[in-house]
Amino acid sequence: MVDNAVLEKMIKEVMQAMATQGSKPAAAGGKMTRADYPLSETKADQIKTPTGKALSDITLDNILAGNVTADDVKIAPETLEYQAQIAESVGRDAFARNLRRAAELIAVPDDRILEIYNALRPYRSTKAELLAIADELEHKYGCKMNSKHVREAADVYERRGRLKE
Amino acid sequence: MQINENVIKSIIEEVIANLNNENGVAASSCAVEGDGRLVLTPVGNAEVGKRKDEVVIGVAPAFGLTQTKTITKIPHVDVLRELMAGIEEEGLKPRVVRVIKTSDVSLMAHHAATLSGSGIGIGIQSKGTTVIHQKDLVPLSNVELFPQAPLLDLNIYRAIGRNAAKYAKGESPNPVPTMNDQMARPKYQAIAALLHIKETEHVVLGAKSQDLKVEFK
Amino acid sequence: MKSKRFEVLSNKPVNKDGFVKEWPEVGLIAMNSPYDPKPSIKIVNGLVTELDGKCREDFDMIDQFIADYAIDLANAEKVMAMDSKQIAKMCVDINVPRAELVKLTTAMTPAKVVEVIGEMNVLEMMMTLTKMRARKTPSNQCHVTNLRDNPVQIAADAAEAALRGFDEQETTVGIVRYAPFNALSLLVGAQVGRPGILTQCAVEEATELILGMRGFTAYAETVSVYGTEQVFIDGDDTPWSKAFLASAYASRGLKMRYTSGTGSEVLMGNAEKRSMLYLEARCIYITKGAGVQGLQNGSISCIGVPGAVPSGIRAVLGENCITTMLDLEVASGNDQTFSHSDMRRTARTLMQMIPGTDFIFSGYSATPNYDNMFAGSNFDAEDFDDYNVLQRDLKVDGGLKPVREEEVVKVRNKAAKVIQGVFKALDLPEITEAEVEAATYAHGSKDMPDRNVVEDLKAAEAMMARGVTGVDIVKAVKKAGYDDIAESLLGMMKLRVSGDHLHTSAIIDSNFHVISAVNDTNDYMGPGTGYQMSEERWNEVKSIPNAIDASDFE
Repeated sequence: MVDNAVLEKMIKEVMQAMATQGSKPAAAGGKMTRADYPLSETKADQIKTPTGKALSDITLDNILAGNVTADDVKIAPETLEYQAQIAESVGRDAFARNLRRAAELIAVPDDRILEIYNALRPYRSTKAELLAIADELEHKYGCKMNSKHVREAADVYERRGRLKE
Repeated sequence: MQINENVIKSIIEEVIANLNNENGVAASSCAVEGDGRLVLTPVGNAEVGKRKDEVVIGVAPAFGLTQTKTITKIPHVDVLRELMAGIEEEGLKPRVVRVIKTSDVSLMAHHAATLSGSGIGIGIQSKGTTVIHQKDLVPLSNVELFPQAPLLDLNIYRAIGRNAAKYAKGESPNPVPTMNDQMARPKYQAIAALLHIKETEHVVLGAKSQDLKVEFK
Repeated sequence: MKSKRFEVLSNKPVNKDGFVKEWPEVGLIAMNSPYDPKPSIKIVNGLVTELDGKCREDFDMIDQFIADYAIDLANAEKVMAMDSKQIAKMCVDINVPRAELVKLTTAMTPAKVVEVIGEMNVLEMMMTLTKMRARKTPSNQCHVTNLRDNPVQIAADAAEAALRGFDEQETTVGIVRYAPFNALSLLVGAQVGRPGILTQCAVEEATELILGMRGFTAYAETVSVYGTEQVFIDGDDTPWSKAFLASAYASRGLKMRYTSGTGSEVLMGNAEKRSMLYLEARCIYITKGAGVQGLQNGSISCIGVPGAVPSGIRAVLGENCITTMLDLEVASGNDQTFSHSDMRRTARTLMQMIPGTDFIFSGYSATPNYDNMFAGSNFDAEDFDDYNVLQRDLKVDGGLKPVREEEVVKVRNKAAKVIQGVFKALDLPEITEAEVEAATYAHGSKDMPDRNVVEDLKAAEAMMARGVTGVDIVKAVKKAGYDDIAESLLGMMKLRVSGDHLHTSAIIDSNFHVISAVNDTNDYMGPGTGYQMSEERWNEVKSIPNAIDASDFE
């Protein structure tokens, strides 16, 4: 449960923390920190959809008029990078890495994501098939981290006998 | 007391139920003594079937062997008979295979479905947990799942056989009504773990499934 | 002669529960097994060459994943050299701040963290949970399901649950093919109760992802991980496939957490002689290593197993603690029937309710348990008043509030009407006035008229086939004439663009402000610090409708 009093107190504390830690909202080009969080409130003007629309463009009227479609209500790689920086500023490095892998995957279509996920499940793929996916991720979609992840999976599955027979 | 059709019907039903219960008791005591009422004989490696009118029942590694009753002590002989009868009632052929490479009920059922000429399979563990599966679904999905073994009785096993056969014929039957007893877990889950551990001890990774000759003696 | 006292005792509910003796050789032991590995780590040139007594060449998949991704290696050797009892003392020491402790607890191995927890009694673990949970404000999650997968009832129950205070809601299905309808009804119904509720639909992993991508859910939780390689494989996944799935969710702006719990490995027959808590610790480390923000644990659907062995409920509290020690969100269980005894089930829940967690229940049943398709929760709709009184007795914020009948009837009716309009706008099978009326006043599915299941399933499949998305749902709500609910749904969709709710322990208030461990960091350091109930909130908790006012007698 969250109420206004809690909220007020929270805002005060965050401001206090900002003052004591001397962290300032990121200047242009600087890294985002917890002081920039939540982005939807402090950086609403900088957040764009992958189709280039602003948060303020996502309105009921625009949806009804067909100016905003399902493709517009998606996160952009830049936004995930900002969120990764915020995660790092609070010491959550592994989480930040996941957000960066996610930023890469925005380019991969839904259906292909599902197919790759299923291909990574045990006994689904040969080593060659996994390596082909890794190549595809790297060269077709520019997903370097995910490509490395799939290559690593191919090696582990081979060592542990979890490849397709 | 007024005698009418309904009263007579209910009396008959009760008598039949009592008879069945007595049979159940008798059967379970036989099974305990292990006089071989259910004989499952391996007759070779199970291959993918060519008959469109078959439903494959995959039984777990210990089914009818080191374990002979479900978690609520229903004899395997009766369970298997009802599953097969349900399939036959719909005019289809049951084929029984023993799965040895896994004891997971979903994986067993999915494997049975891939062996089945119709693409529909049933997986059943010794403790009684049952799944109806279709070969094109992902292994941990299912067509119908009956996770609470303590709630399954012989009527339900027959209905499961019947529904599996209907799916195999391309029909969309009403799913077997899902039973739900939230108190089955506190009572049975740890026992289920014990039974499953004992079943899993019989798993041989990578082993081929076996076609079984089924004899009710 | 039989003792009459023993006869009375043998009929008590607690004696309907199943209990078993420990059997460490197959892993049927809660914690502190003689077969658990001893903590150790060796690092050569930044690579872990030994983890908890195992050499790198012998690593299974899970060992490798944990060694390479889940441990802060910079501090690891230093922390591993510390006395476990000393670290346990620091956990309960109010003078050691959470931020300092996290640096230690994220730099140890699974065996080490289990050893630390093994030093504590339940009171000390509760203290640890109070201090170490990531978000300062505690919260709660509920289940909204029913035996018939009735969509009108789901919408009405979701609205009521939101009104009662649940910030997250989860549904699942009796019949898998109903999933799109259940997800849709929950999504819409919850927003009627209060704007900003996060909703999910627990189904098979790939299906769950599709529902999320399509905009039928806001987050996912049923992404299971396991503590032994064989059980992980039986779960049809690997740490690598699950980590990929985690990134897939984030890439679509969807919040997600993993699920695990003590007892799953032994229940699935492959516990490799390890204690339940040690194997669960491995799950928590996999979650950490995959970069997932949080975890649902506390045995979950396997609670009957730790619940049946000695010290099992202590181990369940221990796994919640470890999750917070690794700086992860914890949705702390209490979500499955665990005992016939009201005393036992209450005592089990107090372990999380008193310290407060990110989600005390990861599924309080917002329906009567006969409708709970997760096979029943530890608390259900019939316990609402008991729970509210417990909050009031102890002045503990368990996330719920007393509500008045008129306001409940009102939101249930509105939710039923909105989903009726949505079904019409999306050309789905009709929801009749009789169904709306029944859902408004229903306690459970026994009070609902039957629907044509075959028609519903066909329509659900067709709806997915024609590519209906969250945007279409917003349009349908608008077309049905509920602009306020359309705006709320839009607010939920905009979260996907900013991604603020992807962060650890995020919940959303009714103004779509995100509250997470980033801007609501737990700073508990003893009396008067950390989460304090506001006056306003306390008044809400206090105000049970049946408390008598002295002035009533004047």
